[in-house]
Amino acid sequence: MKELRDLARTLLTDGSVQVVIGWEDGPAGARPAFVTKAEDADRLIFDPRCVHNLAAYLSPRRPHVGRLGKAAVVVKGCDARAVAALLRESQIQREDVVIIGVRCGGVLADPSRRVDLTAENVSERCSGCEAREPGLADHLVGEMPPPPPGERSRETRIEELEAMSAAERSAFWQAEFSRCVRCNACRQVCPLCTCDRCVADKTQPQWIEQSAHERGIFAWQLTRALHHAGRCADCGECARVCPAGIPLGLLNRQAARIVERRFGYRATDDPSIPAPIGAFRSDDGQEFIR
Amino acid sequence: MTARGLTREGLAGLAAELIGAGIRVVAPARAADGGVDYLEVTRFEECALGAEMPRRSLRSAFQPATEPLFAWNRTGGRLFLTPAEANGPQVVLGARPCDAAGAAILDKVMGWDYRDEFWFARREATTVLTVECAEPGPTCFCEAVGLAPDSDAGSDVLLRDAPGGYRAEAITPKGEAFMEAHARWFGEAPSAASEPARTRQAPLPLDAMRGWLAEHFEDDLWRDVALRCLGCGACTSICPTCHCFDIVDEPEGASAGTRRRNWDTCQAGIFTAHTSGHNPRADQTARCRQRVMHKFLVYPQRFGAVLCTGCGRCARACPAGVLLPEILETIAGRCRQAAPSGDLA
Repeated sequence: MKELRDLARTLLTDGSVQVVIGWEDGPAGARPAFVTKAEDADRLIFDPRCVHNLAAYLSPRRPHVGRLGKAAVVVKGCDARAVAALLRESQIQREDVVIIGVRCGGVLADPSRRVDLTAENVSERCSGCEAREPGLADHLVGEMPPPPPGERSRETRIEELEAMSAAERSAFWQAEFSRCVRCNACRQVCPLCTCDRCVADKTQPQWIEQSAHERGIFAWQLTRALHHAGRCADCGECARVCPAGIPLGLLNRQAARIVERRFGYRATDDPSIPAPIGAFRSDDGQEFIR
Repeated sequence: MTARGLTREGLAGLAAELIGAGIRVVAPARAADGGVDYLEVTRFEECALGAEMPRRSLRSAFQPATEPLFAWNRTGGRLFLTPAEANGPQVVLGARPCDAAGAAILDKVMGWDYRDEFWFARREATTVLTVECAEPGPTCFCEAVGLAPDSDAGSDVLLRDAPGGYRAEAITPKGEAFMEAHARWFGEAPSAASEPARTRQAPLPLDAMRGWLAEHFEDDLWRDVALRCLGCGACTSICPTCHCFDIVDEPEGASAGTRRRNWDTCQAGIFTAHTSGHNPRADQTARCRQRVMHKFLVYPQRFGAVLCTGCGRCARACPAGVLLPEILETIAGRCRQAAPSGDLA
């Protein structure tokens, strides 16, 4: 923690950045913090409650954060994949952000409680994590903690879903989606939903019905999943925010597995590797695009 | 006011009778993923009374996330409009006092410049049986906004905790009539309900805060509050008093379609985007301020009540730690600083 705070203090003092976006201890648990003065650097923390993906604050859709000036952002390995995607898609420029990587041993699903990590309370995406040290970072801080507890239970759930018939799988998602109220919180928190105007908000023509009935929900959720296939950083923020508790991480992860099988691509924190959705290859497996 | 006794078995029998009579019964119940929501139940056993607070408020019982207003059909050069189906009777079994109070607060705006027929059709067709709150949650602050875990606002019948069941108190004539109509399930009133739960918050100086808000449309507080806000609107979709909606036409083929009313959120940029491209609430700072201003300045000015029941869901739902109780306490602190001691309610 001292290393993180000292670094933040230095960056703010020497004018490298005007704000350090990290985490602080709030009245109801860990939460994002925006440190603009060197003397406030001691507010910064990093512990297993720091589940939030702060890359979301770098999005050009958030001018109220951008107005603070050049930012340093603290990222876990998973969050670094989102920063890489923003770079890859030219939403931000490399020289516009200082990236502080933290070594991570997993985070809690619920940032409000200060408890030891267990297989039960760890965020479902953490088990089996292979990105515990961000590769995309200007500075790396902290010792490497022990790996996150738990089995790769999410992979097991996805394998169960993949083993289902199409009708069974459709019924599963129908039941989950039935709780969706089309609040769009999943879109708003996503660090990679950077469109100025989302297709779901367009009414002329209306590509996607806005109502929370089965057609509208499926049209939205499937569009969202497809637009994120092979882009999703798997930070889990969409599932965490969903007020209806829909397991969106499962959908994202299953799409990512399909992209990996079909295109040999896995979301990475190396921004120089193009993602299939934004790349053209003359040896593409799909004939229509060659 | 009539007070009777209702045992847990009596409540189960009452629920079965209602469901059997084809009445839509809405109660806290576990959804497929294990979370508690207000859901339509088909058996009393599905009710999760006394479980944790439902994730979303009772709003959807009176204003669903989507509802048809009418359908249109153009046939042979003529336009036919079909009104939405009327609502049948509905009983809410086990509302939280904060959720019941939310509906009563919203009656004011829904009956203001025009009478919202869809809202009041559901309100009138619904009998709300509220269960006193036994265990306020960690972010609850109902007493800070003038309510309490045993408030009866918006309830037709209030069920207070009593040995073996509840002490049922009729709050409205509708509640009185309901208890009369189902009298066989109600017995002798227990002499005294046990001591109600308390959240132990000091009441907020709401009048002084209104004055502060009126004078601080521009203030650094809004920038500081909004920095971490992601604009997801989760706070608005779980709130018992948020009520903004959008109206959309959804065609089904070339000559038919349905006009629907859907929940909307002031936290989205498109909520105030003009067709010209101008947006009077251009960023999250303006949108966060709007949420507080509407609830604690504009609504009280117009309707004499804050647009908040202190259910604390917004503080729990926020993925970024924007905490309404904290914002309110900050504003209250500034009011206390500005006023001589003892002058604030």
